[in-house]
Amino acid sequence: MKLLKIIKDFSYTHSENTAFISPEKEITYKQLWSESEKVASFLINEPLPNGSPVIVYGHMEPEMIISFLGSVKSGHPYIPIDTSIPIERIEKIIESSSSKLFINVSKQSFSLENSFVKIINFDEIVDNLSENTEVSTENWVKEDDNFYIIYTSGSTGNPKGVQISANNLQSFVDWMVKDFPINGNLQFLNQAPFSFDLSVMDLYPALASGGHIFAITKDMIAKPKYLFEAFKKSNIQIWTSTPSFVQMCLMDPSFTEELLPELTVFLFCGEILPVSISQQLLKRFPKAKVFNTYGPTEATVAVTYVEINTEVLQQYESLPVGKSKEDTRILLVDENWNEVSEGEKGEIIIVGPSVSKGYLGQKDLTDKAFTSFEGQMAYKTGDAGYKENDQLFYKGRMDFQIKLHGYRMELEEIEHHIAQSQYVKMAVVVPIYQNDKIEYLTAAIIPSEHVFEKEYQLTGAIKKELSEVLPAYMIPRKFSYYDDLPMTPNGKIDRKQIKEKVLV
Amino acid sequence: MEFTNQVIELLAEICQDDVVKEDPNIDLFDSALLDSFGTVELLVQVEERFGITVPITEFDRDTWNTPNNIVKQLADFK
Repeated sequence: MKLLKIIKDFSYTHSENTAFISPEKEITYKQLWSESEKVASFLINEPLPNGSPVIVYGHMEPEMIISFLGSVKSGHPYIPIDTSIPIERIEKIIESSSSKLFINVSKQSFSLENSFVKIINFDEIVDNLSENTEVSTENWVKEDDNFYIIYTSGSTGNPKGVQISANNLQSFVDWMVKDFPINGNLQFLNQAPFSFDLSVMDLYPALASGGHIFAITKDMIAKPKYLFEAFKKSNIQIWTSTPSFVQMCLMDPSFTEELLPELTVFLFCGEILPVSISQQLLKRFPKAKVFNTYGPTEATVAVTYVEINTEVLQQYESLPVGKSKEDTRILLVDENWNEVSEGEKGEIIIVGPSVSKGYLGQKDLTDKAFTSFEGQMAYKTGDAGYKENDQLFYKGRMDFQIKLHGYRMELEEIEHHIAQSQYVKMAVVVPIYQNDKIEYLTAAIIPSEHVFEKEYQLTGAIKKELSEVLPAYMIPRKFSYYDDLPMTPNGKIDRKQIKEKVLV
Repeated sequence: MEFTNQVIELLAEICQDDVVKEDPNIDLFDSALLDSFGTVELLVQVEERFGITVPITEFDRDTWNTPNNIVKQLADFK
């Protein structure tokens, strides 16, 4: 695979260049390559079924990317799992992916009660192998083999694994290094946890261009003072984040060109980029270019792009997500797959080489969302959009999937888990919008009998149960309680009326 | 006292929970009432309503952890 070959070349030609910087540790290209050879060699000697995925668990440690490369160099895709994911969800991912091996990078001891997966600590793998361990390139994942599998929220209450092949990822990386000014030894910010595919937007383009990844951790994000101290020393040149994250940084008046004098490119993905944020960025970073991009995990991170400059800002009230990368087509269709005319709203269909082959082990879900179109894979995004002057505009979801602060989730999955609580008879989750953007989630609940005196105590008890099964970002901020919830005449829950109710 | 009540009222709006009025010593982060996005909203509102600008780098979860402590910190900024 071209991407792996390029990283290998850098490990010889630029062996002492830094590849990855985390608060505790930095590694060079040489270390990245030789350590991942050890991981690959270890995996090749394990009795794993062909192509069976390897789970890599941790946060922002350099050993995460060493393990990613080790997996794919041994012919196995990896499943990145951040330490913020609760145990029960991890068990579901193991079950659904039939993974047999779990690399624990986190330095915390880790055990699972309900899985038979083999857990091994990263240090145990590398300590037992010599520095000169090498594996043959014959073992590498290639072409249509899976490179990584990222789990996203599924409406049935179970996460689903999006399979991204070597070809999918190569198509994405080729586009990034060709069409964005990000080439050559640059310093890339990584904000997103690896279980969120926004991280792929900086990770592989950086490694494919000899760049360095500067990782920030969840502890820094919790304490912006440390975050800004790290920024000051970081020399970041390429910024990739959700708009929500940069909005938080803009809350500090010191977030300017002076703090990050080398910054030349902002890349945004994961949620709607507001005009106001773009304006502030152009003002505070006059030398930098701002790019908006769009794409679902199922089409490998992003497939459209547009530079947001003052001209674009003057022209549009809500920003376009741009035009598709060269090898990809965007269709806008009605229910019968007829293309709609310019300016008309339709469902966004993505056709091209970066579209995934589907959800791992979930044929029904795959058949619903993926199809073949004129000989290429096509993904029905469920997103609504329209085109104007060759620019694509995103107009929200056609179902109950939402984006909150860049995290994608299914309202039905959250509802499913709340309804499992011993204190809940029924639950409906309603997103609360402010200017087209979801501010937070509210849960409207019919409670079971309980002993709590005050509603907030009940809320506390339900939230505690939820924290064991859902990541924090999926837990609604507000809980309100009702004796009954409105239904539509044909017996479905009436989301529109419930929304009016919770807004009172 | 009025300032205290206004701040706690604002926190109740942002956390969407009256527990902050009942228990002004509750740890907002441990109890998941506030996260980094709630923090941003809080600082935006503090600036709009009270005209107090708090740079996000001054916000520390260890000392801005309860409604009472937030009132104290904001009073220092006034």
